[in-house]
Parts: sequence; structure tokens; C-alpha cells
Amino acid sequence: MSATNEHYWGAAASARGSGLRAATARLWHVGIRGSFPLAIYLAFGLLLGLPLLLVLIQAVMPGLFDVNAPSLALSIAPLERALSSSRIADAVVHSLELATLSAVGATLLGGVFALCTQRCSLPARRLFAAVPWLVFLTPSYLKALAWVLLMAPGGYLAQFGLLPADIARAFFALPGLVFIQALNLFPLASFVIASALAGLGSEYEEAARLAGASRWRIWLKINGPLLLPAIALTLIAIFAEGLSDFGMASTIARVANFRVLTYGIYAAASDYPVDFPMAGAQALILLALVVAVVLLDRLVLRRRTDPRLISGRSRRPELYNLGLWRWPVASLLLLISVLALVLPLVAIVARACTRTLGVGLSLANLTTANLYVALSVGTDANAALLRSLAYAVIAAIIAGAAALLLALELDRSRGAMRPIVLGLSLGAVAIPGVVLGFGYILMWHRLPGFDAMPFPRYGDASLLITGYVAAALPYCLVIILGAIGQLAPTLNDAARLQGAGPTRRLLRITLPLVLLSVITALLLTFIRTVFELPLSQMLVPLSGPPVPPLVTNLFGHDQDGIGAALSLVSMIAAGSGAGVIWLVAQRLARRQLGTRDGAPA
Amino acid sequence: MSKDLRCSNVTKSLGGRVVLDDLSFAVSAGEVVSLLGASGSGKTTLLRIVAGLLDPDRGELAIGDRAVWSASSSVPAERRGISMVFQDYALWPHMSVAKNLSFGLETQRVSASEIKARLDRALEVTRLGPFRDRYPNELSGGQQQRVAIARCLVLRPALMLLDEPLSNLDAALREDMRVEMMELVRREGSTVLYVTHDQTEAMAVSDRIAVMRNGVIAQLDTPQAIYDRPADPFVASFIGGFSLLRGHTGDGLFRLPEGAVEGIRADNVASGPGILVIRPEDARPTGVHQTHLRGRVLSRAFQGRCWRLVVALGSQNVRLDWPEPPPIGSELGFSLPPERCLILADANQEKKTPWRI
Repeated sequence: MSATNEHYWGAAASARGSGLRAATARLWHVGIRGSFPLAIYLAFGLLLGLPLLLVLIQAVMPGLFDVNAPSLALSIAPLERALSSSRIADAVVHSLELATLSAVGATLLGGVFALCTQRCSLPARRLFAAVPWLVFLTPSYLKALAWVLLMAPGGYLAQFGLLPADIARAFFALPGLVFIQALNLFPLASFVIASALAGLGSEYEEAARLAGASRWRIWLKINGPLLLPAIALTLIAIFAEGLSDFGMASTIARVANFRVLTYGIYAAASDYPVDFPMAGAQALILLALVVAVVLLDRLVLRRRTDPRLISGRSRRPELYNLGLWRWPVASLLLLISVLALVLPLVAIVARACTRTLGVGLSLANLTTANLYVALSVGTDANAALLRSLAYAVIAAIIAGAAALLLALELDRSRGAMRPIVLGLSLGAVAIPGVVLGFGYILMWHRLPGFDAMPFPRYGDASLLITGYVAAALPYCLVIILGAIGQLAPTLNDAARLQGAGPTRRLLRITLPLVLLSVITALLLTFIRTVFELPLSQMLVPLSGPPVPPLVTNLFGHDQDGIGAALSLVSMIAAGSGAGVIWLVAQRLARRQLGTRDGAPA
Repeated sequence: MSKDLRCSNVTKSLGGRVVLDDLSFAVSAGEVVSLLGASGSGKTTLLRIVAGLLDPDRGELAIGDRAVWSASSSVPAERRGISMVFQDYALWPHMSVAKNLSFGLETQRVSASEIKARLDRALEVTRLGPFRDRYPNELSGGQQQRVAIARCLVLRPALMLLDEPLSNLDAALREDMRVEMMELVRREGSTVLYVTHDQTEAMAVSDRIAVMRNGVIAQLDTPQAIYDRPADPFVASFIGGFSLLRGHTGDGLFRLPEGAVEGIRADNVASGPGILVIRPEDARPTGVHQTHLRGRVLSRAFQGRCWRLVVALGSQNVRLDWPEPPPIGSELGFSLPPERCLILADANQEKKTPWRI
């Protein structure tokens, strides 16, 4: 509880007079308001902090969770074993190669995309601007599986004679994986660079034009240097994201026998015979790499001079008129869109509607059987679909509500907890899901006290949902904190002077103004959770798997038709549900904010 | 309805710096008092402390006969019966004009019929009736300001705080709005504490002005008294366009470094460093008054009624209003009415504080 609050309640009580009732009321308020933030911090620590801590401790105390002979002995033997193993050394090198090259590729693609959609007058510009969002919302394991369908010997591209056999073979190695990962991660680059471009405004550029600089010189000397921090940030963020990715690692990379760290952790922690010390050692290496990258990111951020802070208010710049060049440029964007989104989706749709892959897209091969299986109540596929949707709804509501409460508390508090929780949650965005999953196994399966807990319980959906919430919490927090940070503090001060207490201010002022961001956070969590792979795979409930592990499993067991159909149905269900809610919420919020022209108030 | 405000020995430090230093003053019921000062002088901090948005370190605050802050008790902002017009107006963007106005009344559980009556009256006096269902972003700057004032008035507060309410308006609108706003405020008989850094604005709206410097009140008096008799060189430098010339007093005379100024007596000022305060509108051609000064014209700017000249007197510059434009670089002789020439002791002589001319 902040000093101001304490003072406030004490003061309120003393202003009312010093009776026993006032004293009781004061105690009650101080108790409630004091324990509430503590409970939030505690939940945050339990959901994210403790599992990560266990992973780290276990890496240097390999005997800690031994079922037969638990020991507290410190040992770096597993780490030594891991570092001297050629398999793991390969995995480290592979992870780094893949993450580095795809970061460069994705930044290039995203930069081009952002620049063209933000600053150039192009045919179908708004349509292109939506592509990164759609790519971002399509799960990476699904895109990877789609590319297997497309590029495999006898796959769709080979059937259409579009693919020479040697290219197909080379595809299932580093170059192919970089290609898919760059297409998978370019939306992140596009978001960061587009927002930097929007923040840049047009003043600097206009000043340079009036100083006589040509368009090329402006980009070389003015806009380029001002965008450099954003580009560096993009490279770092995508590198970290690439290191943590499990969707490709467990699908196409595994098919290509291209071992990476994330899959190594999963295999050591989940595949029989489990080898916790080995999983711990690899998790430690992965975490060390991610932490190093996050620290580098902080370094870049600190040096960054944000153009928005310099100019205060920036005007939207004019769009460049590309003349005839707009056609080749639009074609380039179209090509990227087709490769990143259309082709993988077409492959999934095609596979969902056909009997076998090998026969191809002939009329005789068309079937509705796969979709029928996915949609029929009682089948495993349909059960997984309903399960995933239900889990995602629950996780989104809990994560959204918790993030909102935490964000409000953080915004209000000026104490020491604020920078700590803020730093932890921003850092937690980079925690690989597979490491978190491993931490959950250690905590809820092996840690005395937690293993016997009735709720959430290991092997139960409750634990998986808890994991989903933990993974989503940092994202939600970042989105909602951003929205709250944009509210002028005077809006709340004004309500206070009009006599509104904390609860009324929250309900009538703050919440309506951040509602759209809260709903955005909820919907993003919902979609990400429906397609969350690493936690789902590691914490599969005994009652049955959710969609992502079932789909990868179906593809791995020659039932890719049903797998594709299940993916398709779940994408349509989750996407249309979220889409409808988003449209309604946006319309509602727009009317509430009185922004009839759609501009934010 | 309107009540008086008393602040005694209010002290506040922020980040290790003393922002308000043992400050005491009082505002009578129905009086308009401006806090005038440069940024960092503590005026906004004082306003926020009065509002209850910030707690002082020491001191006492009372509104009417009720203590709202002391070391042992405090009334929270929401129960002080104060309303405030913020610099950015702080209109809630998700509420219509009518909702913005009725929010506080609903919070205070005023009956529906009373809310309607007060709302109608507030909309009528602020001429906002046609805009009652509009949202803030659909209003012009001036209309938004009227909503902010109406939101204050509708509550019938004991005390109104205005935090630079005109600074977001363009120059053309500012004067009209100022007149209109003060008419509304005066009609309601509100007690007002008004923060501004613009001395013209402070002069125009206030019954009294508190000129603030480094967390203390340098002078608290009526606008006319401050204009005629600024208490010290700091206050004089803050009031519009005055020129301050450094010199020495002794033997009843004021001397510039270049020599004694003829005709100006400094009988009531202690000998030592002194400052001559010259109001630009006092300058007359040589011979009109007994004083005589001579300098070189550095610049001139047409101001409608007259020309504003900057004239170098030795190493110091002085601003004068003159009926015609003399050539730049030419010599100009002028005289000043001796009774209007104010000589102040220069306490900052040692520090060589650069006064604005």
C-alpha cells in the first residue's frame, strides 16, 4: 500500500471522528487495500517467478527432484555433460544460426512491409497493412506443417511441377527453416518499425526538404538514423523470439532432423526416459542466451532517443507517390503475403478437404470426411477443439482481469515494487514457453507441498490453464499498462475533486477509457492460447489433449487430413469469435469515446 | 456557499528541494487571488496541496471554519468541496457534456430533480445548451474551457482552483475567454485561487496577486499596488515591461555608472547599490519633466498606439514607449516624471543577478 493511500484512509477515518466504528472501518480498509496488492504480487511470483527459479536451481542441483534419492548437492556435471555433448553443442549452434539468420530476414521483410504500407501510396494498401496481423495470429507450428505439405517429396508444389527435387531436399535444412521462420516472424518487425515510422512524423523530413535534401539523402541522413534504434530493437526481439520458438522446432525442424535447444528441453523433460538434469542444463543455456539478448535490448533502449519524445506531437506524413513503381512494389508485397499467409492456408485447406496428400487436388480426392470428423461431437478431434476453446476463454478472462488489477496497482504505487514487477513482466515476455512448461512440471509434479495440491493439480486441466494464464500475463500487462499510461493523470484528479472515491473512479473513469485495450488483451490471449503449443504439449491433461498437441500428433502419425481439418475448424471458430467481439467492442468504444470520425480522443 | 481559505506555514519539499517554504496567506470568501510566478516557483504545487492532490510536509490549511489539513488530520480531496479547472481541462472523453457536468452531482447523491435544475442553469449561463449531448472532442477549445468551468460551477464549490486555464487557447481567443470566464465566476461569487505565469492575465482577473519566488510569496497585494509599488526588484522584473537600471544611491541622488541622473531624488532609500525602475509609458521628450536621460536607440517596434524602443544607456538598456520612430543608432534624450521613478535597494548587487530589462 502506498503512503498516500494509507494517509488517505487514516485521514478519512479521523475526519469522521474517532469512534470505535471509525477505527474498525480504518482497519478493515487498510487490511483489504494492503493485502490486495500483496496477493497480486504473490500470484505473479507463484505463476512465473517460482517455476523459473526451480528451473535454475535444478540446473545446478541436479539431484534435487530425483524421485529415488533427492539431494541438495551442488553439481555442474549435467552442464558439463551438456556442453561436451556434440548433440547439444549442435543444438546450440543450430538455434543460434536459425535465430540470427531469421532475425535478419524477418527484419528486412518487416521493414519493407512497414515502409511500403505506412509511407507509400499503393493499390490495396489497407489490405496489405492487415497481412502482418493475420500472419501473427496464425500459429507457427501450423505454418511449419503447411510448408511440409507444400515442400515434401510428393507435396503440393512438387505435384504442380513447381519444385525441382533437389530444391525440395535442400528445403528441409537450414535455408528452408530460415525461409519459413523469417516469414513467420516478419510481422513483429513490421509492427515495431511501423510504429517507429508513425512516431517519427513528418516534421524532420519537411525540415530536411526545406534545407534542400533529396529524398534519398533524407532517408540516409535523417529518417534512417532516427529509425536505427527501432531496427536494432527489432533484430534483438526477433532473435529472442526465434531462440524461444517451439512451433517450428517440434514440427518441420524435427522432420528435417535439425535439432534446436527448445526441442531438446522438451525431449529431455517429457520423452521417456525423462532426464531432468539434462533438460535443466539446456534450459539454463537457453535462458542465458535469452537473458543476454534481453539485456542487450535494455542497453539499446537506454541509448534510444525516442523521436516521439523529441517532437511531442507529430503530424502524419504525406504518402509517397511511387508512380509506375507502385505496381512492382505492390507485387513484392503480394509475393510476401502469398508466401507468409496465403500459401500455407491454402495448403491446410486443401489437405483438410482431400483424402490423401499423394493423389493431390483431383476431384476424386475431395472429401468432407476430415471436416466431418473435426465437427462431430464425440470424436477426439472435436473434444480437443471444445477443450481448447473453453481453456482459452477461461485463461483469457483470468489473465485479462489479473493484468488489469496488477496494472492499476502498478500505476498507483510509487514504491519499490513497481520497477521490480515492471522489469520482471517485461522480461517475462521473453521466457520461452518450453522453459516455463518445464518449470511447471518441476513445481507441480515434484515440489513437496505443490505436488499434493488439489488445485491446480498436475495432470489436470487446471494446471494447464494456470500455465496459459502465466504465459499470457506479461503480454496482457504490457498492453493494459500502455493504455493506462496514456491517460492524463488529471482525468482522475478531476474525478477526485468531484467527490469520486477510488472504486467509482476505477469504474467510471479508468475502466471505460482502457476498455478497448483490455478487450484487445483478452482476445489476443484467447487466440494465442487456442494455438499455444509448448505448454499444451508438456502439461497435456489426463482428460485429453487440446488442439495444438493433437494436431502435431496427427501430422506425425499420417493423419494429416484430420489434423489439417481440425486446425482449419479451430482457426475459423477462434478467429470469427474473436473478430466479432473485436468489431462490437470497437464500435462500442468508439461511440463511448464520442470519436465519430474514428480518431482516438 | 463560497468560503475563505487560510494557509499557515505550509512547507513542501520534492526530491530534496524545498518547493514551498513556510508559506502563509489567506483568501477571503468571494475573493479572486492569483498565484503569479515563473515555472518552478511553487505555484502549481501550492494549488495541488490546497486541492488535496498532494500533502504538504508541514503547515495547516483551513477552508471556512473547517481544517482540511494539519499534521494530525486530513480531509481527502474528494471531500474538501473544492473544484478545479485544469490546464488541459481534463474533460472525460467518454462522457457527453451533460454527463461531464452531472458526474460530480451524482457522486454526491444530489436528487435527480436538483441535478436537472443545476445542469440546466450551468448550461444556460455558459451558453452550452446546444452542446449538451456532444462529446469533448467535438467541441472547440473555447467551448471545452466553458465545459470545464461549468463542471466546476455546477458543484457550487466552497473554493474554485484555476490552473492556467487560458494557456491552451490561442491569443485571439484568450482575452475573450478570460472576460467571459471571470464574468461567470464573479456572478457566482466564488472564492478563487488562480494560477498563472502571465502577469497581464493576473492583473486582469484578480482582486489580489501573490507574486511567488522560490517557494515564498514575494508580494501579496492588489494589482494596482503591485504595479505602482513593487516590493523589490524581483517583483518589478516580473511585472510587464518595466526596465531595471542598476546604479548607486547616496547623498539623496541616484547615480548610474555613467553619472548622476538629474532630477531624481532618492531621499528615502538607504545609501548603497540601488535599482531604478522605469515604466515604459512614463517616458516623455526632454524638458517635459525635470529629469534628463540620454541614450542611443538600439531597436524599435511598432505597437499600434506607440513605438516600443530599446535605448542603450551606457552598458544598460531601457524600454520606452515613444510616439514616433527615431532612426536606429540615433541619440535620444528623454525625461521621466520624478514622482513615478521608483528606486529600490539592490540586495542582489553582490550576486550580479541579470535583471530582465
